[in-house]
Amino acid sequence: MSGFDVQQFRSQFTFFQLQPDWVYLDNAATMHKPKAVTDAVQRFYQQQNSNVHRGAHQLSQRATTEFEQARDIVASFINAKHRHEIIFTSGATAALNQIAFGLMHTVLQPGDRILLTQLEHHANIVPWQLHCQRHGIHIDVVPLNSSLQLDLAAYQQLLLQKPKVVSFSHVSNVLGHIQPVQQMVAMAKAAGAITVIDGAQGVVYQQPDMQQLDCDFYVFSGHKIYGPTGTGVLYGKTALLEQLTPLLAGGEMIEQVSFVNTTFNKLPFRLEAGTPNIAGVIGLGAALQWIQQYNNNDLIQHKSLLLKAFFSGLAQIKGVDILSMPVHNAGIVALNVDSEHPSDVAAMLDQQQVAVRSGQHCAMPLFSYLARPGAVRCAFAAYNTLDDVNRCLLALEQAVEILTA
Amino acid sequence: MTLEQLLADTKPALQEIQTRDLADIQQASDWQAKYRILMQLGKKLPPMPEKMKQQEWLVKGCESRAWLMHYHDKSTDKHYFILDSEARIVKGLMAIMLCLVNGMSSAELAKFDLCHKFDQLNLKPYLSQSRGNGLTAMAEKIKACCPAA
Repeated sequence: MSGFDVQQFRSQFTFFQLQPDWVYLDNAATMHKPKAVTDAVQRFYQQQNSNVHRGAHQLSQRATTEFEQARDIVASFINAKHRHEIIFTSGATAALNQIAFGLMHTVLQPGDRILLTQLEHHANIVPWQLHCQRHGIHIDVVPLNSSLQLDLAAYQQLLLQKPKVVSFSHVSNVLGHIQPVQQMVAMAKAAGAITVIDGAQGVVYQQPDMQQLDCDFYVFSGHKIYGPTGTGVLYGKTALLEQLTPLLAGGEMIEQVSFVNTTFNKLPFRLEAGTPNIAGVIGLGAALQWIQQYNNNDLIQHKSLLLKAFFSGLAQIKGVDILSMPVHNAGIVALNVDSEHPSDVAAMLDQQQVAVRSGQHCAMPLFSYLARPGAVRCAFAAYNTLDDVNRCLLALEQAVEILTA
Repeated sequence: MTLEQLLADTKPALQEIQTRDLADIQQASDWQAKYRILMQLGKKLPPMPEKMKQQEWLVKGCESRAWLMHYHDKSTDKHYFILDSEARIVKGLMAIMLCLVNGMSSAELAKFDLCHKFDQLNLKPYLSQSRGNGLTAMAEKIKACCPAA
C-alpha cells in the first residue's frame, strides 16, 4: 500500500466538511476545490484586486507578478518548453474554439481534411464543424472497436488521407477510457498532421509532459483539476501559436492600432484579449502547486482501488449494464440499469444524496454509436473514499429495487 | 391509433390521477413512496405510438425526451393533452401537470399557476430544477398552447 492518506487529502476540501452527507461522484463535470485554492482566490480579491499588465501602481505590479507566476506553474506542470506557450482561456471549450478558428486559412485551406474521433466531447466536434463547413474542409472520424477503444488500424488508414489536423481526447469524458495518446501523436506526426489533444479529463489523471508527448496543442479546463471555474489552458508550440488568428480581439493583445491597421502583441498576450480571469488563474496556479505535493502514482493507485471496488460491487447488482472498461480507465464509469432511462436512475441516486450525471454527456455521436439514450456517469476523484463507493452501490441497489419492482 | 382514440384513452387516466393519486403523492412519507407512485402514474397513461413522436411534439430542453400533443376543441373551448416521456419519473410528474390542466378553457389555462399548484403538492423542488428534467420546458409548452388573448 502507498502512503496516501485519503482522509488527510479529503480534509483539505471545505465542501466535505460542510456537506458531509453527500457522495460526490460528478467529478468529470467539475471537481471540488481545496482550501489552498479558495484561499488564494479570496486573498487576491481581498488584498490585491488590481488589473494586470497595465497599472501604474505597485498593486497592479504585484497582481501581474502573481498572474505570470501562475503561467510558470502551468508551464512547469505540463513541462512546456517556453512559458509563452501557455495561453490562459476560460476553459477547454474556449481553447478548442480558438484553435479551430485560428487554424482556418492560416493552416487549413478549402479541400483539406481533418480527423476527429467517435468519442469526442461536443467541444471537440462543433467548433471544427462550424468552421470546416464554412471553409469547405472535410471531417473524418476515427471509429471505435468492439471494446469501445479507438480502432487504431482504422486510424492508420484515415491518416493515409493526409488530414492536416488530428484532434482527439486524452481520456473519454463518458467512458473514462485512456487513449493511447503518445502512440496516436506519433502516428499523426508520421503522417504530417498537426495534433490537438483535448485534455479536459486527462490532465487530472496523469500530468501530461508536453515535450515527451510532442503534441502541437493540448488544452484543459482549470475547474476539472481542482481549480476555479472560468479558467483554462491552451498549450501550443510556439510556431503554431504564431499562426493562430486570434478569436478574440481587443485590450492587451494589441500592439498598435489605427483605423487602417492593427498589429498584435507578442505571445502569449496576442491570444489573451481583454482582462483575464486574474483571480481564477491565480487559483489555478495554487491548485497545480497544491496537487504537486502529492505523488501522482499514489493518487492513481487510490483511484484504481476505488474503481476495482466499484466494478466488483456493480457485478453483484442485477441488471446493471456497464459501458466502461475497468482497464485503462481514468476513474469514470458509465452505466445503465437494464432498460431504464438513466435520468430515472440518477434521480433516485440524487434522492439518496449521491451526485452523478446522467444523459449523453455532450457526446451525442458516441451515444448514437452505442445505441443508448444515455448513461449514468460515476466519476471518481482522489478525494473519494471506499465509503463513497459503498454508498453509491447501496443507492444503486435501492434504485434498481424501486425501478424493477 | 388516431389522436381521438388516444385522447379518449388518456382522459380517464388523467381523471383518475386527479381524483385518486394526487392525495397519495401529497401524503407520501418518504421519497421511495413518492417515486413509486410517480412511476405508477406514468404507467397509467397510454403510451404514444412511436409514429406519433414527431419533432414538432418534442419538448426541448430535456435530458430525456418527452412529447406533448395538444388538441383544442374550439366548439367547447377546451384544451386536451397527450404526453409521453422516455423517463418514468419525469413522465409521472408531467402526468400530474397534465391532469391539472386537461379540459381547461383558454381563459383558465391562461391564468393557471403551475408553480403554486406544485407547491401545494410538495412537488415544487422538481419544477425549479435545472433544464435537466424538462418540466419547466413542458410547463412553458402547455402555456404556449393557449391562444393569444
